[in-house]
Amino acid sequence: MKGNVIKYTQDNVDTDVIIPGQYLKIHDYAELATHAMEGLDPDFHSKVKEGDFILSGKNFGCGSSREHAPIALSHSGIKAVLALSFARIFYRNSVDGAFLLPIEIEQNAYDGISEGDEITINVSLNEIKNITKNQTYKMKPFSEIIGKIITAGGLFKYNPDQN
Amino acid sequence: MGKTLFEKIWESHIVVEKQNDPSLIYIDRHLVHEVTSPQAFEGLRMNNRKVRRPDLTIATMDHNVPTTDRSLPILDQTSSVQIQTLEKNCKEFGIKLFDINSPNQGIVHVIGPQLGITLPGTTIVCGDSHTSTHGAFGALALGIGTSDVEHVLASQTIWLEKPKPFEIRVEGKRKNPHAVTAKDIILSIIKNIGTGGGTGTVVEYRGDGITDLSMEQRMTICNMSIEAGARAGLIAPDEKTFDYLRGRKYTPKNYESLVDFWKDHLKTDSDAKFEKQFTLHIDDIAPQVSWGTNPGMTSDVTESIPSPDEFSKGDSNQKKGAEKALDYMALKPGTAIEDIKIDRVFIGSCTNARLEDLIEASKVIKGQKISPNVQAMVVPGSHMVKKQAEEMGLDKIFINANFEWREAGCSMCLGMNPDILSPGERCASTSNRNFEGRQGTGGRTHLVSPVMAAAAAIKGHFVDVRKMDLS
Repeated sequence: MKGNVIKYTQDNVDTDVIIPGQYLKIHDYAELATHAMEGLDPDFHSKVKEGDFILSGKNFGCGSSREHAPIALSHSGIKAVLALSFARIFYRNSVDGAFLLPIEIEQNAYDGISEGDEITINVSLNEIKNITKNQTYKMKPFSEIIGKIITAGGLFKYNPDQN
Repeated sequence: MGKTLFEKIWESHIVVEKQNDPSLIYIDRHLVHEVTSPQAFEGLRMNNRKVRRPDLTIATMDHNVPTTDRSLPILDQTSSVQIQTLEKNCKEFGIKLFDINSPNQGIVHVIGPQLGITLPGTTIVCGDSHTSTHGAFGALALGIGTSDVEHVLASQTIWLEKPKPFEIRVEGKRKNPHAVTAKDIILSIIKNIGTGGGTGTVVEYRGDGITDLSMEQRMTICNMSIEAGARAGLIAPDEKTFDYLRGRKYTPKNYESLVDFWKDHLKTDSDAKFEKQFTLHIDDIAPQVSWGTNPGMTSDVTESIPSPDEFSKGDSNQKKGAEKALDYMALKPGTAIEDIKIDRVFIGSCTNARLEDLIEASKVIKGQKISPNVQAMVVPGSHMVKKQAEEMGLDKIFINANFEWREAGCSMCLGMNPDILSPGERCASTSNRNFEGRQGTGGRTHLVSPVMAAAAAIKGHFVDVRKMDLS
């Protein structure tokens, strides 16, 4: 995966800024995506491109269990969120619905990658390459079953008997 | 080695066990509401699946229902569609629904215990993060997203990474338990351990500061476990738990034999090991008021707004977070909490809208009027809470003080129905999240207990309720 980074230099990006409660009634995902990150970054919708990544600090996706949060990001074009840590419900929602990859990073990636940097993510090598800055960072590997759910394309395509 | 209560419940629900990986866990109760379920039912339909255990699945509508006159049509078209969709789905899949006109309707986490659906030792899930509330009864209760809701509907199981047991001890005795409440205990805990302090854990709350609490107060504690990032929070059941559930609408027929079993099994062994530990001494804690945009940004009512430097203790992201929060909240460091003027008061939510919360708040306002600059509302947690409160005459106390007395629902906790703050409005709220825009775009939320909210309504600013006569 290759893309550019939109960076939020902060901890605790919560579900209510990712997709504010008033939009949880929207069933059309394309329309939902127009409100992604609206609570934190009103320019997000105009700047995000297909294939972009979000980079942020600790406890990304804290708060509500709304799956609308990864859905809104995914339908905005976001393929992965890189964060120092994730709230667990957001993490599982991202994986279970195959909306995006929640990638746990180390401090060196958080500090090293800037807004707009072009990076590649290689999940099989657990490696992130910063093309803009010519740096390489390690990502924390997915656990075995999470990796299998991701490979299968979501919870409903995952068949434990075949693995 | 002994086992924790959480480990005992976990082990008794394993369908497929995996080391260092998610295990397949059986679910005893699945609670469903209108917002996080439509896509899950759609998924079942698309794949010609049925609900595996409709008898263990219970639905209600709470998130976007209006709290005004229920005999009138719902004006918000999209809310109306979502509510009708739940009705249609429950009918098609044979699920019991407490609809908008049911005497059992209410916030899903208020009605579960009230109806005796929540039971000790069970696993409970719901597409709502505050499912942790049910842990007050010694249940393993987890919030899940819509994909998992579909998975549970189809299979009555979920794949779950085993959380680590985290012991939070609450020790001591509050000098004035009417003024310093369960809400102040849990806000103090989150202030200390942080919003990520419980990530990947199931908290067991223990100690005399916990066993002293009533069941409704224990629910307030467990409810906000998720605000510390915990997967769930629970409290070992005791006589208070068993008494609370005895004789409720759906309490099982063989209840007394279950109680005997629970007494023997549902406790942490003396030699069990927790992976994490925190102790809060509550003898001298003060009423709490949040000043920022996450529940960890909280101070004693007697304190002033901290500077971002003081708050962050050298962590640059914390500092930036505090600066951003103060900007959003339009507050300056050094301002006394008691000098913060408010525009709105919301007494409601799955955290603090049970009968006891309303009784305590009513004591503060009895015979008084709210400040002319404040608009205040009470949204009971369930239709049943509302009815019980009305039988006690609490509605009249609130209405005479110029509070609005509404119908049950989630209401202004998350701003999905018409009950929202206007941009810039400042609210003393008994809810659980003070995130930016949570109660309406640009709205400013201060989390407090019901008595603190009631006192703020009267005075027009925060006051230390310990100075008031609450007997």
